[in-house]
Parts: sequence; structure tokens; C-alpha cells
Amino acid sequence: MSFYNLAPSNVTPRQTMTRRTSFAALLGTAAIAALACSACGGKEYVRGANDPSIDQPAMSTGLDKDDIERTLQTLLNQMREAPIMDEWRVKAGQGSRQTVAIAPFQNETDEHVDSQLDAMLSETETWLVNSNITRVVDQSRQADMIRQVEGAQHPVFDPRHIPQYGKQLGVQFYITGKIGASDERTEDARRVQYFVFMQVIDTSTSEIRWQQKAYVTKAVR
Amino acid sequence: MIDTRALSLAAVVTGLLVEGCATHSEITLPVRDALDAGNPHAAIALLDEQMDVKAPTDLPAEMDSENSLFVLDRGSIQQSIAQFKDSKRDLEAADKAIDMLDLAHDAKDDIGSYIFSGSAGKYQAPPYEKLLVNTLDMVNYLELQDLNGARVEARRLAVMQKYISDDLKESDNPVLGLGGFLAGLTFEESEQPDEALRWYDQALQFAGFHALRDPVRLLLTKSQYRSPRLKDVEAGGPPPAAPEDQGQGEIVFVVGYGRVPHKIPHRIPIGLALTWFSGALAPNDVAAANRIAAQGLVTWVNYPTLGPEQGKYAIPAATIDGQYVQLEEAVNVTDQVRGEWKKIEGKIIVSAITRMIARFAAGSIVGAVAGQKNGIIGLLANLGTQATLTVLDKPDTRSWETLPARVAIARVRVAAGSHTVHLDARGVRRDLTLQVDKGGCSVVSLMALR
Repeated sequence: MSFYNLAPSNVTPRQTMTRRTSFAALLGTAAIAALACSACGGKEYVRGANDPSIDQPAMSTGLDKDDIERTLQTLLNQMREAPIMDEWRVKAGQGSRQTVAIAPFQNETDEHVDSQLDAMLSETETWLVNSNITRVVDQSRQADMIRQVEGAQHPVFDPRHIPQYGKQLGVQFYITGKIGASDERTEDARRVQYFVFMQVIDTSTSEIRWQQKAYVTKAVR
Repeated sequence: MIDTRALSLAAVVTGLLVEGCATHSEITLPVRDALDAGNPHAAIALLDEQMDVKAPTDLPAEMDSENSLFVLDRGSIQQSIAQFKDSKRDLEAADKAIDMLDLAHDAKDDIGSYIFSGSAGKYQAPPYEKLLVNTLDMVNYLELQDLNGARVEARRLAVMQKYISDDLKESDNPVLGLGGFLAGLTFEESEQPDEALRWYDQALQFAGFHALRDPVRLLLTKSQYRSPRLKDVEAGGPPPAAPEDQGQGEIVFVVGYGRVPHKIPHRIPIGLALTWFSGALAPNDVAAANRIAAQGLVTWVNYPTLGPEQGKYAIPAATIDGQYVQLEEAVNVTDQVRGEWKKIEGKIIVSAITRMIARFAAGSIVGAVAGQKNGIIGLLANLGTQATLTVLDKPDTRSWETLPARVAIARVRVAAGSHTVHLDARGVRRDLTLQVDKGGCSVVSLMALR
């Protein structure tokens, strides 16, 4: 005897209905189980080169590749046309390229975005090196120098000590920046507005020779 | 014949459901047992097994309600064994996930918890848990001497504090005392005296924190920021000499001990529930529940309640070079757990009784349909439906179970140089040698979660 024998001749219509209901319930259960199984498995690794759309969605309120690219596009395009770059071009033309160091961006947000800020720093460094108008100091040398100036207990870059760093490293300019954020939380949403500032500082005078800003907003809603 | 098979199948399914329907605190019982036995590594391994991850450094593929709580628990336990980098990764992942669950919570979750099961909805962390994620993570960063990371956590705490104060109308949560103390220290060490004083001002509104008075007086000489509380501290005596001027540094102790009460499932007959909680119910629900109680059928109310806390009478100890250091209580987390529970207990009981009424109604409908020809079958179907739904109704025992019941602090000046530090609470010890720089500050913590 099988559960799937739907309407044997010796049952009343009511019984048949009961059986059909039971069979339908079993089918339903099987369908739900199948759906559940399909939902459980099926995670796979995807290559961005094969599926560029995976870079599109925002995955958190932190900063991602798209945010970094947009921000740097804004900042570096404006820096390209800034008077300080013209000054460096002139010096380079005269055979005395200026020495520039790139200092860590200060994270003044409430998100742990330091690795993304390091990526921005490296992108900026690459851009500057390839522009071929300045000498750029290697970051590993800076880390040693920061340790010398700030001490071993908190060897962290402090923009207030830029003149000292400049002297130690023999650099004329520092490119640095900071990122702040306004983070607001309500019952059903969270929004983080980032304010990214980049600046060029003359190490001999601490004068800000160029500064520009860019905005990024991320939210959960 | 077919009905017998269907009933057998139902019995098997019910059996499987019973097995698969352990509540959160029942699932985590072995974890708590391992902690009580002084084996935090086993507790971490058990959590990894629950999350189906291979190593304590892995995060689960999906950060749903259960996994988020497991990750929070693992973060606490990692902190208790001084694995601060692992702890911060876990606490930060859980912080985002808990926030996301909270934001995604909607009417469907509430309806589910009123009709189907107390555990049906997404987990909503109570305010003290939200505040403690960032507070405890700040301890990780301070232990690692990463002031940048500690400042990020302090700012996250400020955002959550504002939300809890403005939207949840709860501005005096004592967890903010500990949070304010640690955030103030973070900004003081970052040489941002204004921001440090704002946080210290917040900490001083709560009992204790005598250790803060001298550092605050010293800090007030570097800032124009004042509040009535800070003015009182300022008027209490002259500022001390700066530690660096006296060849000194500081050691800050943060000692958590015991474990907060976790939730436990409770099943009681409707008659008893009505005796205990009729005051919390609407008159219509009381009448419906009374009718059900009068029939004496399978009418159980499933609801969570709070279990006992661990370590209520423990006295933590700290010494520097063999000399005892006076610790003062910064926050009694257990009081927060009990206070928060009192606020929501009535709603939880009402939803449990509402579910019981819904179960009875569902059983009655199934029984009426099945019993049109045969009354016994109808009665069995009615009882079976109610019993199955009773089993499916999981009391919501979800919570961050590995929080310390109490946290004590101390802040002392020591001569710059090497010092041996010993911490001891509930049989958990930590010994280390610290190198304290002139004018420097080292944070040492112990989390004795047993």
C-alpha cells in the first residue's frame, strides 16, 4: 500500500478528501524542505573581473572601493590644477624636484576605516610618484621617524609635530588629511556622512598650501 | 490506516521538533558550564561548533540573531583570556550585526512573537548591551595601546548613547559611567582635554569614580570646558602635580567579574499564569484565558525568566609590586539586566498568554474539522495541534550571556619603570610585568566570567 494511492474504491468522498489533504500537506512539506535546502547551500566565490556588478552594492556604512575611487577622483583632480602643483612643476623643470612625504590620514570618524584610509594614502602616493614632479619619501622610513619623535609607547603620527618630522626626514612638504563623520541613528535608520579633507603642508612654516574636501554618505535604512 | 500513519508521522515530526526546539540558553548551557569549570578555550570551541566555523578567528557566514549572540559571547571570552585582537574583531562584527538586526526589526517580528513563538522575531539588544559592546571594545584597544581605535569606539558609544537618550528616553544608564571613564581616559591620553572632560563629566554623574577626581583637577588646568559637576570637583582641592613632572606614570585597572543572569525558559499551566500575571493582562484576554483554564486541557504558557547571576559576593583583588590597590565598583551590570527585564516582563507574559490563546483556537479548529465523524479523533487532533504548537513555542531566552556581572576600576600613579601586576577574581588570575613610561598610562584588564 502506498501513500500515493489517492482514491481507492473503498473509501468515502470525505476520506478521500482527508487523504488528499494529507498528500497535499506532504507535498507542501517536501516543497518547503526543498526550498529550505536550496536556501541553506549555494554560496560561491565570485571574481570581480567576471562579474563587475559585485562592486556596486554598499555592504556596510564603512568605506569601500567605490567610495575611495570617487573621493580620490575629486581630490586629486583638484590637486592637479592647484597652484602648489604648478610650483612643483616649475621646480622640477629647473632640475630641483621638491621632496614630499605622505602622512597617514587622521581617522576622526566612528567607523574603523583605517585600512581604507591606508589604501587612499597608497593610491595618492602612486599618483604622485607617477606624476614625476616630486621626490616621494618611502613610508617605511616615516614609521621609524615617527617612532623617534613620538616615542615607543604611542608611535602614532601627530600632525602637530609636522615641522619635527620634516626636519628629521628632510622633506619640504607633507601631504596629509583627515576624515570626520556625522553619524546619526534613529529607530529605523543609521546614516554616516563622511567629510574627507586633504591638504599640503609646508613643513618649514606649517602653512597649509592647499586643501580640498570631498563628501561620502552611507546609510542603512 | 492512513490516519494512523499520519498520526505516527505527526508524532515523529513532533519528536524531531522537540529535539530541534531548544532555546538559546539551553543551547549555550555547555558554554556556561565550560566557563564555570574554568575552561574558556573549551567554551570558545563550543561556540565555534554552534556557528559551524573551523577556527576562533573565523566569523560565521550569516550573522543572524543566534550567530550574532554567539560572536558577542566569543568576543567576551576572548577578552577574558587576553586575546584582545580576536576579541575586538568579534565585538566589532557583532556590533554591526546587532545594529542591523535592530534596524531591521519590524511589525512582522512583533506579530510572530505574539502568534507563533517568543523567539520568532529578530533579536533586539537591550540598551545596556548596545552600550557595553563599544565600552568593552574600548578596553581591547586600550590594552593594545591603540588610541586611534579606542577613539573610534568612544565615538560609536556617543552615537548609541544619543540614540538611547533621544529615542528610547533613557539618559541615565549606569553603563555610561564606565563608558565615560574609558572614553575620557582615551581622549586624555590622546591629548584632547576638552573631549576628555566631557566624558569624565558624564562618568562623574554616577556613584564611585573617586579615582577620577585628581586626574580631572589636573585636566581642568588644560581646558576651558566646565560643567557644574566639574566645577565642584575643581573646588574640592588643588590640582596635583603632573605625573611626568614627578617621574611617574599611571596604571588603570578594569576588572569584570561574575556573569549576568541569563534568561531561562519557563513553562507553567495557564491557571498558575493567571494567578501570577492577571494584573498585566487585558480583561478580554483574562476572560479567554479563564475559559481555557476551566477546560483543563493542554494549556501551558511558555515564557522566559531571569536565572541567577554568578559571583554576587566575589571580591576582586589587584596588586602592584605586591601592594594591594583599592578597586571601586564602576557598574553593576546585573542591576541593569534586572531593571531592563522588569520593564519588558509584562509585555512578554502578555505575548506568551496571547500565543497560548492562539494555540487553543488553532487546536479547536483542527479538532472540529477532524472530529466531524469521530469525536475521539477530533479530540486527539485538537490536543496534538496544541501540543505541537506548545513545543514550537520557544521562549525567547536570547541575550548576551557572557557579560561580567560587575566591573570595578582603579587608577593609580606609579614610578616610571617596570612593575609586576597581579589581578585575581573568582579564581581567575592574570600576572604580568608592565613597563610604565614617564607620563605614560597602561590599562590592564581582567574579565573573570564565572
